[in-house]
Amino acid sequence: MDRKRVAGPELSVAPLVEYPRDHKRWTPQDEQRHDTKRQPEDMRPIYLKTGLINQANGSAYIELEKTKLACGVYGPRPGKRTGFSGHGVLNCEIKFATFSCAKRRGHMRDPQEKELSQILSQALTPAVRLDLVPKSTIDIFITVLESDGWGSCVAAAITAASVALAHAGIEMLDLVAGCSAAYIPSGPSIASPTPSATDATNATGPSLAPRIFMDADLEEEKYEQGAIVLAYMPSLNEVTHMLQSGKAEGSIVSQSVEHCVEACNKIYAVMHHALVESVGENK
Amino acid sequence: MPGLISPAERDYILKGIECNIRADGRQRADYREVTLETGVISQTSGSARVRIAGGTDVLVSVKAEIGPVQVDPETGDGADKGQIVCSVECAPSASQQFEGRGADDLNNELTQMMTRFLSNSTSNPSVSSTASAGAGGINLSKLCIIPGQQCWILFVDALVLDYGGNLVDAVFMGARAAIYDTRIPKTEVQDLGDGQFEFEVLDDAEDTEFVEGRENMPICVTLNKIGARHIVDASPLEELCTEARLVVAVNRSGELCGQQKGHDGGIEPSLLLEMIQFGKTTGQTLIKQLDARLQEEADADLAKRQRGEPVHKLGFFAQ
Repeated sequence: MDRKRVAGPELSVAPLVEYPRDHKRWTPQDEQRHDTKRQPEDMRPIYLKTGLINQANGSAYIELEKTKLACGVYGPRPGKRTGFSGHGVLNCEIKFATFSCAKRRGHMRDPQEKELSQILSQALTPAVRLDLVPKSTIDIFITVLESDGWGSCVAAAITAASVALAHAGIEMLDLVAGCSAAYIPSGPSIASPTPSATDATNATGPSLAPRIFMDADLEEEKYEQGAIVLAYMPSLNEVTHMLQSGKAEGSIVSQSVEHCVEACNKIYAVMHHALVESVGENK
Repeated sequence: MPGLISPAERDYILKGIECNIRADGRQRADYREVTLETGVISQTSGSARVRIAGGTDVLVSVKAEIGPVQVDPETGDGADKGQIVCSVECAPSASQQFEGRGADDLNNELTQMMTRFLSNSTSNPSVSSTASAGAGGINLSKLCIIPGQQCWILFVDALVLDYGGNLVDAVFMGARAAIYDTRIPKTEVQDLGDGQFEFEVLDDAEDTEFVEGRENMPICVTLNKIGARHIVDASPLEELCTEARLVVAVNRSGELCGQQKGHDGGIEPSLLLEMIQFGKTTGQTLIKQLDARLQEEADADLAKRQRGEPVHKLGFFAQ
């Protein structure tokens, strides 16, 4: 056999993509959401469990269908930083697993992960009684195993971290629930490459107010005009973090804040349930 | 940038803000005097220097370079779009705390914030949104030279030269003014047939164009929640008393282009909405004043050029 010559076939074809025959990509013009079972205000069902990491003082695992992440809490333990501080330090580190996103992530923490870590610590710090643990740090490590939507990932990380903190027995003022929403233009997007028949009938489309989709998944995020992530302490009625990107009218923002607060109250019940369950196991 | 504050001083600031009078005599909603000048650096495509009386000094430069377009492999989006790459750096000379790696966190936070608010993609870098006009306001399609191949990349670099509080607002004011000042050379595309294209950058200094959509760029208003009140344009000491900070990005037509909470405190939802509303109106007034100043400067420069007089910039002598 001649090894120097390429022995491949003369003709090559693109690989076949496995989609059912009636498969149609979801677009914002569709009346229903990408997940047809959900209404715009519905979140994905949450699976939340504590104590999956043995070595950690506290841990939590959260799953919103295809968004999956694990969180471990270590501490309070002596701070590595020299110098005295009357308050403890909450140190968050989030890492997307290399295989978690559409594009491969590197092993090193990239600037986005560094910023997310900062956001997480800002979202959780208002809830934690750091004044009770001077000279110490509390380390929170989050690994994203599978990401189906950036916003939902951040929100899930906040929820899981706060449950893990509670599971570690660290004194807190309240649990922090995280929630995300996306603003999706309801009319035909100007950038959509295929001018469809709906363009003519729905000419005023882009000027319509965008729809607010709670807990948007990756497919919906591709069409988003803006997004919001909100962290909220339900019992204290305090917003601990808010991150909004993209362009939106003031009314849409205030509406989505209200929706997110409402959703956080629902998530709170799930968090509560998971923690009560973990206490039952220990008995 | 002091790192600590005494309880007595904190109390003084807190009580003052409660009574609507701050340590430097301002009211809660008052800005300090802002000095803005564009075209200060000759090597750039556009530049601006912002000084806030009291110390903050930011230099922003925009450099336009030609590079390959970035196409999303999944959606095929981005083939006909230029790019904006932002970065913020705090010079070690600005503050004792910026020495060594001390400014890393701040640099990263500001860079990410700027990328989020100014470039048209949304929060997720792996997904470029198909929504036409993003928060940044700039028409990226106009920055494309040959679809699918070459485009202009605008590098927006902010350098913090001195720190006197309210860095975020200054950086965004500077970025807006620098892009306002930016001129990009015109290009001529030739069709060679077979889907092959070639382009030429026109050398003529007069034959340049402004960035389309520059007037729709947002600026940021930072609201610092101290006690139960919120203030704008905080001084370094006031920033140390801040429980929570809300950055509201707003454009000329009053659309919200992004918000981000900072610092380690919480805000009640009702106060949050009030702060957003307040940030929006303050931002709109501020943009109007900045636009008037930019226009005035552009007119003055043009008049001088027509008369054949050299244009002198105050540059680093501006106080």
